[in-house]
Amino acid sequence: MSNSNVSLYLDPQIRDWVLFPITLVMILVGVLRHYVVLLLQNPPKKVPRAAIREQRALVRSQILRATSAESPIPPTYYKSISQHLSQAFLDGTYLKDGPPKDESEKPKAPNPLTDPAAMDGMMAGMKTQMVMMVPQMIIMGWINFFFQGFVLIKLPFPLTLGFKSMLQRGIATPDMDVRWVSSLSWYFLNFFGLNGLYRLILGGDNSADSSRDMNTPFAAAAMASPQAGQPQDYNKLFKAERDNLEFAEGLYSWVAKDVEARVLKKYGR
Amino acid sequence: MDLTSSLQRLSAHRPQQRQRAQETLDRGLPLLNSGKYARTGDEGWETVEKTALAALDLGQLDVADRCLRVLADKFPASPRVECLTGIRMEATESPDMCLKYYDDLLETDSSNASAWRRKAIVYRNMGKLDKAVEELSAMLDTFYADVEGWLELADIYSSCQHYTHSLQALSHALLLAPQNPFYFLQFAETAYLAGDIPLAMKMYLTVVDMTDDDDTDVLDTIPTGITLRAWYGVMLCTQRFITDPRAASSSASNTPAPSTATLSKLDDLSKERLRTAYLNLKNESPPTTDSELMSVVATIIQ
Repeated sequence: MSNSNVSLYLDPQIRDWVLFPITLVMILVGVLRHYVVLLLQNPPKKVPRAAIREQRALVRSQILRATSAESPIPPTYYKSISQHLSQAFLDGTYLKDGPPKDESEKPKAPNPLTDPAAMDGMMAGMKTQMVMMVPQMIIMGWINFFFQGFVLIKLPFPLTLGFKSMLQRGIATPDMDVRWVSSLSWYFLNFFGLNGLYRLILGGDNSADSSRDMNTPFAAAAMASPQAGQPQDYNKLFKAERDNLEFAEGLYSWVAKDVEARVLKKYGR
Repeated sequence: MDLTSSLQRLSAHRPQQRQRAQETLDRGLPLLNSGKYARTGDEGWETVEKTALAALDLGQLDVADRCLRVLADKFPASPRVECLTGIRMEATESPDMCLKYYDDLLETDSSNASAWRRKAIVYRNMGKLDKAVEELSAMLDTFYADVEGWLELADIYSSCQHYTHSLQALSHALLLAPQNPFYFLQFAETAYLAGDIPLAMKMYLTVVDMTDDDDTDVLDTIPTGITLRAWYGVMLCTQRFITDPRAASSSASNTPAPSTATLSKLDDLSKERLRTAYLNLKNESPPTTDSELMSVVATIIQ
């Protein structure tokens, strides 16, 4: 165990030429990464009108159903809207490619690897991943090559032995005080700890923080695949929504049904 | 005038409120001249957009052009700026030119909802109401959640006395914003115009129920603003029921009319409310006869 009297003396040159450059380079790379990601981002793809109509048809009936227990509109209006929607769902009026011609004709799920739209989404995720991985690998290589085994800084508070593997990575000494931090550990501390600084410099939703991507590698691709890989069968969804509409119609009650009695009671008549 | 307060006031501005255009312009113009809009982020740019709209409302085309140039430099190819350019074109160019412009916009991006709505409005301004209704309905069929679009459609219908269609459009607006008493009031007034007195009465009472102050004893409160207008509507309806008994059975929406006992109570209550309002607003005792009361209250509401 280390003796408090016998201590290491760190050359101030290490502070000026190793500690500060590593920190500075990591900050600057993060800022650079933010702007590169901004450049790489594709503008959102334009969705054709028919597709939007198809996607939003369900929202129409959801809005109608959401208010049905305390509906603002009179019964005749509610019924006509509800039945019109139900009929339209049955006939497939809102389907992107028009009403289905044949019951047996089922749309085939396209392979996500051949579907260009799905590929785009995956490529975008990969590009961001690359922008994250490449500079971090280079920095780590740089530190490993030039500063391997350097002790950079002494923490001003005592720590238990458990922190040894975290703070003294790359130095194989069993006896050194845990407070001394090695160069590689300093890199990792920065890697996970700079997010707060980036948020100050670049604002809340920046893409400079690489440790976030690290936690969920290929998350973007994984998130996109269930949607892109399996196209929604809107025809089936619409058919299911008809049942919901019928159910909501049973729950329907007009908010103004006995408003006279309510107002009169409120005014004490 | 400091920047934050003018920004706060400007963010409350809606393009529809023409009467406040001058105020918006007065506040937006120093901001535009000083060039501070760029420093305040998104809010500043939004202010420039609103200033442009206000300037167009007031016919100050040079100011609008300056705003447009600033916005077009900052956001090239933004659909919002393109739409604003279209509105600027409507001020000077022929309607056909504007229609062509909007058609071009829709050609490149068929899902540009604001350009689609402007197209309908250009048709309306040209007097081609049938085309305007057609475009607006098609747009609302795709972009259902556009409350202002539904209100515009209702307005077009009621401008040519198609009150039943107007009510249908308004019912969609009500579904989308069931918390807004002003849409209920508009629905009630349209129903009254359509001759559906029982429906109008129910809707007026709903507005009363929504807007009166629940926290204090309601009998002590003085109806103002929208509540007063709703009480006036209630009284209009009760008077119609009393003078014209057929009104109770002529409901297109099959709404049941209130019973005679309820009706007389409501009639008394609405008169009492209107008298209270009149007494407090004018500080003089209200007229005793019903018809006089209604005519004097009508002048306060205006």
